[in-house]
Amino acid sequence: MTSTSLTPLRANFLFLWIAATSALCIGLLLNQFREEPLPLLYQNREARLQAATQRLSSAEAAPAMPSRMPDTAGEKGTQTLPEFLSMEEFSAFVENKRGLVFDARPEIFHRLGHVPGAISLPRDDFENAYTALKDRLEANKAQPIVVYCSSSSCEDSKLVRDSLRSLGYTQVAVFNGGWAEWTAAGKPEETNS
Amino acid sequence: MTRVFGNRWFLRLLRIAIGGLFIYAGLQKIGTPLQFADSIATFKVLPPELINLVALALPPFEILVGGLLLFGAFVRPAAFALVGLDAVFIVLLLQAIARGLEVDCGCFGSGEPSRWAAWLSLGRNLMLLVGCWWVYRLAANFPLPSAIGKLIKPLTPKDPHMSRH
Repeated sequence: MTSTSLTPLRANFLFLWIAATSALCIGLLLNQFREEPLPLLYQNREARLQAATQRLSSAEAAPAMPSRMPDTAGEKGTQTLPEFLSMEEFSAFVENKRGLVFDARPEIFHRLGHVPGAISLPRDDFENAYTALKDRLEANKAQPIVVYCSSSSCEDSKLVRDSLRSLGYTQVAVFNGGWAEWTAAGKPEETNS
Repeated sequence: MTRVFGNRWFLRLLRIAIGGLFIYAGLQKIGTPLQFADSIATFKVLPPELINLVALALPPFEILVGGLLLFGAFVRPAAFALVGLDAVFIVLLLQAIARGLEVDCGCFGSGEPSRWAAWLSLGRNLMLLVGCWWVYRLAANFPLPSAIGKLIKPLTPKDPHMSRH
């Protein structure tokens, strides 16, 4: 190859093509070494969560289920929660420890700060997080649960709520204002440090 | 002013800054391709068959080309590639803003999709586009020294229009 064989523009496009092809090969190679390789066909968040929920449901249905008897101890099992909780309702729910609070944001955000007593159940790692909490949760599927995420515009809390309902939880509500409204109101925070 | 911006040291500083920035951006995404794929999907441009491929290929591309720029190898073609990349990002962001989509650029890792984020990313990409274009233009004036220069000479013929500087 000599300097006269390639015009500057052609040389640049050749470089671009080589760099892009190399990057794709590196990306595909690295993907093979991941714990969970990315599939070649993209599935959106809702579809991934639905698939995870289905796997969890079928895993639950397979063995005998001694822990699935509804808990009748206490009045929590008969309480009906509204679909969405306002700031005042959610604040009272947290202060009076009326049930479980789930943080549907990615785990890293939960570690940095969350509503006091909230448990991390991230939408993006729902299957693993739920499996880790399974024994504790499935003892009483009628216990009141409130899910929140970053703000009123995020979808994660609603997606996690739908998944929990599919798994048989009867009282699941969403705090729509999320972490943004909680911190804006100057409410207490907790960190995992 | 032209003396400053046309200076060899300014070019060196600019290419190191831009190269470093692209390496950082690539490293932020390379470990979390799924989150990056979700960010790409918010633009609603690519079909599902291509989203994951782009999510896998783009971070290594940024690291590779950014690294070449940082270390001063293949400067002109690398700057040309980044001009192209920035132009594509700008077009994607403009179409998202025009369609009223709440997008997450995902440029430096994933975040919450919002219209504000799209405007912010657009501004940043416009500045990067200018920076990359300037490196592309200036690099023609300063042939690279030593072995690297000899190695890449066939790929980087000097632009005759730039020789007056």
